[in-house]
Amino acid sequence: MDITLSNITMQFPGTRALDDVSLALHTGEVHGLIGENGAGKSTLVSILGGSLAPTSGSIAIGSEKLHLTSPRAALLRGIAHVSQEGSLVPALTGAENIFLGAEPRRFGVIHRAALRAAATEALSRWFPEVAIDLDRPVGELPMADRKVIEIVRALRGQVHLLILDEPTATLPVREKEQLWRIIRSLPPRGVGVVLISHFLSEIKALSDRITVLRDGRLIATEPADRMSEGRMVDLMLRRTDDTRRASANVHAPPTGNPVLALRNWRSGRIEVSDFTLHEGEIVGLIGLTGAGHVGFARALHNPAGVQVDALSIAGRPVSPRDVRAMLSAGLALVPDHRMEYALIGDWDLRENLAMVHTRHAATAGILFPRKEEAEARRVMRLLNVKAHGSGQALKTLSGGNKQKISIGKWLYGAEGRYRVMIFIEPTEGVDIGAKAEIYAEMRRLAAQGVGILIASSDLGEVAELAHRVIPFTGGRPGPAIPATEFSEARFIQSMSGVAA
Amino acid sequence: MSDATSPTAPQHDAVLGIRKDLIQRYSTLVVLALMFVIFSLTVDRFLTSQNLLNIAQQISMLTIVGAGLTFGFAAREMDLSVGYAVGMAGILVPLMLISGVPLPVAILGGLAAGLAIGATNALLVTVVGIPSLIATLATGSILFGINFLSTGGRAIYGGLPDAYLWLGQGRIAGIPVLAFFMVAVVAVAWFVMERTVFGRYIYAVGGNQKAAELSGVTVRRYRAAALIVCSVFAVIAGMLLAARLGSGQPNAGERYLLDGLATVFIGMTMLRPGTATVLGTFFGALFIGIINNGLNLIGMDTYIQSIVKGAIILIAVAIVSRSTKLNLL
Repeated sequence: MDITLSNITMQFPGTRALDDVSLALHTGEVHGLIGENGAGKSTLVSILGGSLAPTSGSIAIGSEKLHLTSPRAALLRGIAHVSQEGSLVPALTGAENIFLGAEPRRFGVIHRAALRAAATEALSRWFPEVAIDLDRPVGELPMADRKVIEIVRALRGQVHLLILDEPTATLPVREKEQLWRIIRSLPPRGVGVVLISHFLSEIKALSDRITVLRDGRLIATEPADRMSEGRMVDLMLRRTDDTRRASANVHAPPTGNPVLALRNWRSGRIEVSDFTLHEGEIVGLIGLTGAGHVGFARALHNPAGVQVDALSIAGRPVSPRDVRAMLSAGLALVPDHRMEYALIGDWDLRENLAMVHTRHAATAGILFPRKEEAEARRVMRLLNVKAHGSGQALKTLSGGNKQKISIGKWLYGAEGRYRVMIFIEPTEGVDIGAKAEIYAEMRRLAAQGVGILIASSDLGEVAELAHRVIPFTGGRPGPAIPATEFSEARFIQSMSGVAA
Repeated sequence: MSDATSPTAPQHDAVLGIRKDLIQRYSTLVVLALMFVIFSLTVDRFLTSQNLLNIAQQISMLTIVGAGLTFGFAAREMDLSVGYAVGMAGILVPLMLISGVPLPVAILGGLAAGLAIGATNALLVTVVGIPSLIATLATGSILFGINFLSTGGRAIYGGLPDAYLWLGQGRIAGIPVLAFFMVAVVAVAWFVMERTVFGRYIYAVGGNQKAAELSGVTVRRYRAAALIVCSVFAVIAGMLLAARLGSGQPNAGERYLLDGLATVFIGMTMLRPGTATVLGTFFGALFIGIINNGLNLIGMDTYIQSIVKGAIILIAVAIVSRSTKLNLL
């Protein structure tokens, strides 16, 4: 049976997330879906899973047209979606999670024995080789077991198509293998799989066919054995000889003074014995979820609980007490999850930009709105923020423009003040045009002598920007990878702790 | 999911050709104006300069308490002890005056009491880590006990100096002194909230505490300051209240808690919906003042007034909650 997507277009305010995408999925295959962040993968599977309604286009199963108005409606038609973040209730047991919302009942109360029996039966029917204690709260289980429980739950009904969004992103390597076997076992039993993953080797190994999305358009659908990893990257990034040459130019390693130097850094289970960042240098920090690269980036800015033998910024020793100490030493952070960690949605752009250096437009604590306005406009022009004016509410901007404001907070009233800038997932939820502008801004800052750290799960982005890359595993940095050795395969090997 | 999936700004929608955000911002003010017109047309003694000055006098203490609470709400802190702080100042200052303390010293003593109450609340919230709703519920209960123990539950009156009584009862050019106090407090509070770095940081802490912290704002300091402003404004209102009543009443402050919260809630439905603003609170107090005054003039039973007021608060909060998140804890 085929599930056919015809001419799907999804228009969001300011962005066309999907542009006329047509695709046929078979229930007997694993179909890999790849593309950069923001290419439209998540939008496409959200439409398929019923949680988004497309602006135009249609979905059909066999010859019957579907109207998927909700995830529940999709599930009733046999399409189940296991999202990236996970949707289990940590305090409930595996059995309770599998039958969440459909518990067997007796006399109006949950029939616990029947629930356990049914859950055990479901698990052993689908995955007889897997042993999971279904009586334990899932919060105590390994990540891979949690994923399996989510998949068993998704397969509760009569499922033809299972969407798996980054199922292995949070897993250590040995747990991945179990999940890979599970994914491969589904198509022979009539359950097609749509697999989204950042790990290209994984996509190649598991998929029967692979579809590449870029800028919301379907670029190619080809059998997996005809797609090399190099070809996938080229299709995803639209590499031309020009852009290759442009990035080659910036990869010449800078030779300036150190702007950040530390020795024997310990925060939680993160240990960095020696690290130096130079003027104008861009260093990428990569790793699997929980490997410590993001934790290290965060703790540099907010060093509560950090122990360090020596730390200096721009040549001056710093004692890492709190955020303020790091800011005044000249270290800034553009965090991930910007609406949570950086911005205030109800405020206008001017107020958001002025959040850090509010005193720039103040004398003796009194604000001068015109001065604030002038500086906000300068920063908005500099970063090419697309908005009606500085009085527009931040929450109405697109992701890319929001991110520019998050960067602009450190430029407002402070151009040239920060010598180290850390970016975590700098283009999370940012459309392709704004992405290029954000990269250009990062390069402009580096050209001014700012040392830049990027912790990102977008390996293409790291490869494009960084002079060297430091892979983290288990809370520790591995040997740096020089630009001459950059490749997706090398990154993935180093992140999983496998020797090259 | 990317930010691009978030819904569009509401201002593109329109009802009868009027932009929706404008409707939202000013609907409460329109209701206020309508109420004023209806009372003017139907109630005989409503639209007289004497009655309007009465309203100003009646809402002045409420506005001052509400202005203090606005700082608290802006920083997302709730102060449930303000009613008893009003009561405490209304007892403490008359007691000092009767025992011969000079007026300026007594007023400073009242302000010091406010600082002490606010500092205690702030300490419990920012250092001990108790949520403000619970901490101030407890300190309010303690203040209530102190107020009644120190007076034996009786009013304090007689022997209050004329200068003190003038603050609550006097007039300048026919306008009540209390109205001048109200205007001065609203003006100062507005300026601090809208035109100073301090006010901006109070709003930042309430708007997104994590973002404020990562931007280098000392969050704890501004949460503490907001709670201290709540108590200090409450004792100012308490001192004025005793001067107006001509006596210190241990239970006189109680209604200022609920009415004060109501002024802020009503204020949050307008201007910057979902956000507590000083001007919004002022209009909220005016709203409550006009309802109380109009219903009084009609001769409506006070208990029915209470029911009407409760219903209006519910409607106001329902409007805000539908459009924005109203996270108070």
